Amino acid sequence: MATNFNKNDSVKLVVENAGKTYTHNNGSTIDAIVDVSFSVQRNEYCVLLGPSGCGKSTVLRMVAGLETPTTGRILLDGKIIEGPDRHRGMVFQNYTSFDWLTVNKNVEYGMKCNGVAAREREQIAAHFLDIVQLTKFKDAYPSQLSGGMKQRVAIARTLANKPSVILMDEPFGALDAETRWNMQELMASIIESTDTTVVMVTHDIEEALFLGDRIVFFSGHPGTVMEDGPVEYKNRQRVMIKEEALDLPGYIEAERHIMALMRSQRQEIGG
Amino acid sequence: MIRKPISRTASILWGVSIWVIFFTAWELAVIFEKVNLLLVPPPEKVLTALYSLIVEGNFLNDIGISILRVIGSFLGACVVAVPLGILMGTFATAESFLNPFVSAWRYLPAPAFIPILLMWLGTGEGPKLALLFIGVVFFLITLIMDYTRQVRIELIETSLTLGASQKRVLWTVIVPAVLPNVVIAMRQMLAVSWTYLVIAEIVASTTGIGAMMMRARRFLHTDEIMAGILVIGILGLLFDLLFRWMHRVFFGYLYNNER
Ligand SMILES: Nc1ncnc2c1ncn2[C@@H]1O[C@H](COP(=O)(O)OP(=O)(O)O)[C@@H](O)[C@H]1O
Ligand SMILES: [Mg+2]
Repeated sequence: MATNFNKNDSVKLVVENAGKTYTHNNGSTIDAIVDVSFSVQRNEYCVLLGPSGCGKSTVLRMVAGLETPTTGRILLDGKIIEGPDRHRGMVFQNYTSFDWLTVNKNVEYGMKCNGVAAREREQIAAHFLDIVQLTKFKDAYPSQLSGGMKQRVAIARTLANKPSVILMDEPFGALDAETRWNMQELMASIIESTDTTVVMVTHDIEEALFLGDRIVFFSGHPGTVMEDGPVEYKNRQRVMIKEEALDLPGYIEAERHIMALMRSQRQEIGG
Repeated sequence: MIRKPISRTASILWGVSIWVIFFTAWELAVIFEKVNLLLVPPPEKVLTALYSLIVEGNFLNDIGISILRVIGSFLGACVVAVPLGILMGTFATAESFLNPFVSAWRYLPAPAFIPILLMWLGTGEGPKLALLFIGVVFFLITLIMDYTRQVRIELIETSLTLGASQKRVLWTVIVPAVLPNVVIAMRQMLAVSWTYLVIAEIVASTTGIGAMMMRARRFLHTDEIMAGILVIGILGLLFDLLFRWMHRVFFGYLYNNER
């Protein structure tokens, strides 16, 4: 089971020579990333990969509008991004359920912010709760849910808000291995059934190869794009089941290639 | 054993036995006349004193007045401290503006204001309520500010990327997220409020539990003084339980951990 992802070959997101310099309280500065450029097509699943501390979260946060680039610019649908808004929904690694709201109200939250009528909210929430298989838990509170379920609430909440791009910062990083690959397959099927563009940060190579249509690889400190290209072994197709991906002929080579990239960066950092 | 839990029954037994030891020692000291009976009445005499204070005297009235003073001043402190604390924990400008003022006041012991409060506000309820207010409000502001700062930034950022306005983030994320801790802060500061109440009533009052104790002192009624202490202790405990109960009722979603 595999389908072609390139339904529409138009550019969605452009990051253009973006740089970010953080200033600490004591006045010292740190260049988190320099001269980062890449672009994401509509409906594409773009994965940002690289050693820890290379600025992946920084890039994602700039796309979200939670940080402003020090240099360069970032455009969504041709418009420069200014501050966070509903068009770029973010899913964090840490749980972000609103504990005081039921699962259902959590999913409705964004729609309520954006003035969607109550009846419509209910329908949309029901639909996405069904997709993430949480219908049974719609009236539960987050404290009653497991980690994976909380993360599914966060994903449904973001999807229900119909953002133009979904940004995910190591969304499955805090989950145990089995839950993680369940979530990865769930994510693959969600993306297939909804028209969404995703930018996801991870440092899990297998996850990057399974989910990504494109991988942007960052070099270490200060971070910049080292390699950027489509995930070749899938022949521009999407794979829905993890074993299927592992069985494809080019998989091992692709994995080996990325591991070599990772290793080269790690050694550089280690000195 | 270091850091090894003990059974619930054992824990309760240990907890009860310290009180049994305490009262036995007290009783024995009285029986064998190791203490001056005028200064240390036997425990049962404290209870009979309490009974006659309530039935024959006007003690319930005093208790009522004390409770009203605590509740009145504490409500006032909350009305000021909750919004200010949340604003200071949310907006850097509010913190920079108000925190130097608030922290300075925290270092001034509230009882130091009693003479001036008496001059300004006369001898009615004014100075007592003011003392309790001053003693509590600045600590309450600081506690609530700190709890507000602890609201996780990811929650706020999630809300922003879902399309919430600044105002909506404040009302639908920061306020509900900090509210359970606001109640905890209130519980902690209400205990302090009782401390200042007793000071106010002992120094400058003719009504209330503290005033009753000072009257009893004049007639060497140590049993009545101890009855007063007992009542204050019980009231403090009851208010603490009330707040624990409110926390469970209002924030039930924090307690239903099933997994
Ligand atoms: N708010 C911040 N203030 C100062 N330095 C930061 C801040 N956020 C990130 N950094 C620094 O920027 C660099 C990149 O961080 P980050 O984007 O989190 O990397 P990654 O997500 O790839 O691990 C790191 O060296 C980090 O210490
Ligand atoms: Mg990161």
